[in-house]
Amino acid sequence: MSNSLESGINELEPYPNSTEYNFYFGPAHPGSGNFGVKLAIDGEKVVSARADPGYLHRGFEKLMEYRTPIQNAVLSDRLCVLEPLNWNLVHAEAVDELMDIQVPERAKYIRVIMAELSRIQSHIIWYGVFSKAIGFDTGFKMAFGYRDYILDVFEMITGGRVYPTGYICPGGVRRDFPSNTKEKIVHVIDKIREMIKLGELGNPAMAARTQDIGILDMKMAIQLGATGPVLRGSGMKTDVRKDEPYEIYDQLDFEIPIKKQGDACARYWIGIEEMKQSIAIIRQALDTLPQGEVIEAKYKKPKITMKIPEGEVYVRNEVARGEAAFYMASDKNGKILRSKIRGPDFLHMIPVLEYLLQGTQIADIPAVYWSLNICPADMDR
Amino acid sequence: MDEKETAFLEEIQSRFQVTGRIQRRQRIWISIDKENLNTVNQWLKKQGFDHLSAISVTDLLDQGVYEITYHVWSYTKKILVTVKTRIDRKNPIIASTVPIWKENAQIHERELHELFGVNFQGNPDLSPLFLEDWQGPPPFTKDFNWREYVQKKCYDKKNERETAYYE
Amino acid sequence: MVKRSKKAKNMRKIIKSIWIFNWFNSCGFAELVPVVGSRWDMERFGMIIVGTPRHADVLFIAGYQTLKSIKRAQRIYEQMAEPRVVIALGSCTMTGGMYWDSYNTIKKLDEYLPITMYIPGCPPRPEAVFEACEKIFEHVKELE
Repeated sequence: MSNSLESGINELEPYPNSTEYNFYFGPAHPGSGNFGVKLAIDGEKVVSARADPGYLHRGFEKLMEYRTPIQNAVLSDRLCVLEPLNWNLVHAEAVDELMDIQVPERAKYIRVIMAELSRIQSHIIWYGVFSKAIGFDTGFKMAFGYRDYILDVFEMITGGRVYPTGYICPGGVRRDFPSNTKEKIVHVIDKIREMIKLGELGNPAMAARTQDIGILDMKMAIQLGATGPVLRGSGMKTDVRKDEPYEIYDQLDFEIPIKKQGDACARYWIGIEEMKQSIAIIRQALDTLPQGEVIEAKYKKPKITMKIPEGEVYVRNEVARGEAAFYMASDKNGKILRSKIRGPDFLHMIPVLEYLLQGTQIADIPAVYWSLNICPADMDR
Repeated sequence: MDEKETAFLEEIQSRFQVTGRIQRRQRIWISIDKENLNTVNQWLKKQGFDHLSAISVTDLLDQGVYEITYHVWSYTKKILVTVKTRIDRKNPIIASTVPIWKENAQIHERELHELFGVNFQGNPDLSPLFLEDWQGPPPFTKDFNWREYVQKKCYDKKNERETAYYE
Repeated sequence: MVKRSKKAKNMRKIIKSIWIFNWFNSCGFAELVPVVGSRWDMERFGMIIVGTPRHADVLFIAGYQTLKSIKRAQRIYEQMAEPRVVIALGSCTMTGGMYWDSYNTIKKLDEYLPITMYIPGCPPRPEAVFEACEKIFEHVKELE
């Protein structure tokens, strides 16, 4: 981290002919989200960057210690607002493993279908916001129009458009699918396929504005801690769903898209390809959905003060932004001792962003910034 | 079934003084004392464990220690090894792992310094990350009770609409 | 029929549409951006999002505030020109909500900013946002 920023802040114009100045790309800027970056600029080029997090810090990890696992299932949707069902799944898996619960087969299939729908919905937001940042306004309006089809499916199944009220809970899922779910999901998937076809038509314009910007090579990506689409865009073939399969991912057939260039255009292409793979997963899971119970019998009407046996676990999942993990430890009184949450955006927004912003032009800052698919709520927790 | 995990655990136990166990497939947990921590970490990095997933601190108030855990993953072997160690709670000082895992470790240690008060020696930058002008104790320690703090600061017991917060 | 003073009637002729400055935190993003999108299009009512507080009539505080972000929101409020209105969106914004025992969130927002309208919900639906914007014209005293 360079020292020019700290000395430059107190002396704004040290030399009258200098072209150096400081710029705060802050939280109230319409192109930046809830996150600020302090930049030291020379002319039009960024010399160094320093991230300024903390606008959304609530102390999530300690809030979970005051509550029981059933109450935490509802709190865990709100870790990252753009993909609530995926984080619900990580928390439920951690508690299942700690308490040694056997989840029924039908519940595992339902969990995978909901998680993949939430991943598609999150990639649609990424596509829309990225398009708006580089000037493709049709993509923004189109993306948020088609996303509402998926939110209608969520409302039909779980009861909430954005937050699913703790639908994926320890022991299974809270209630079964309604009777017309399969037709509705197939209809929605056809609409999403239509959107992907329309979205690819804008490709030449997006490619011209995003090629060779923000290049991250593979060795530096692993050293900085990048995971998920950012690492796959730099050429590394890895995915937590294939490396250590959880739920039923080892019985499903899907591919992992990778690209070797490592620039913003490669990451944008990976986002679209992952949506296609998620559609294939949902179709396979819907065709082979077994009958049965959706929650283990003891947890159908659970007591709110359920006690956890002593132990510790570390659970890793693949959410839409990268690798998410929960370290959960419980003490001998039956309460949660520590629940550490590892989110992908903590690494993407501080070390990776500071590294990538060095040497870019001011006009390319939105393209680099939004191509990392950031979520400030997940970073601050 | 867990052959490669057993073989790897035996190799670690033959080189260093650790106590270890295999929890399930792809998970190995080992405990070591504070002085030999970085020799184990450096050996692990040379074996291909180059992804540091997380560093975490657990506050054990009744035993008077902080327990620090390092979770590392290898893309080639596909095993996750967790290294645990304990330090004194009243004077929490430990050597940093920035020379081994560079920027990845630096940002995790900066966050833990702010929230728990652990001093990582060798970390170039331990300035506050999330909080601005915070004067109180490190927030995540077990002797800082949030509910009492909030009840004193923000709510009023005499107001009949806020009595629910005092239960 | 609501009785209006002469000044209110004149203001009603001038103000036909409101311009919004969005100070959204996490939850507001997920429910306010569809309001801009194509299903619940807000531009047909004349509402647009502006990038600077000097152009705006309404400040939307959409999401829980922390000690760090409330200072910035106060500065933005001071820079807006009269007549100005503040709308608080979501239950975590108004009362602390689910994070009532967190050390860093703001529990009583009206001790920091003068709020005109509250929209409860977690998060509130886009139709609720439209109803709130319509009520501004009828019931707000500041426009008189």
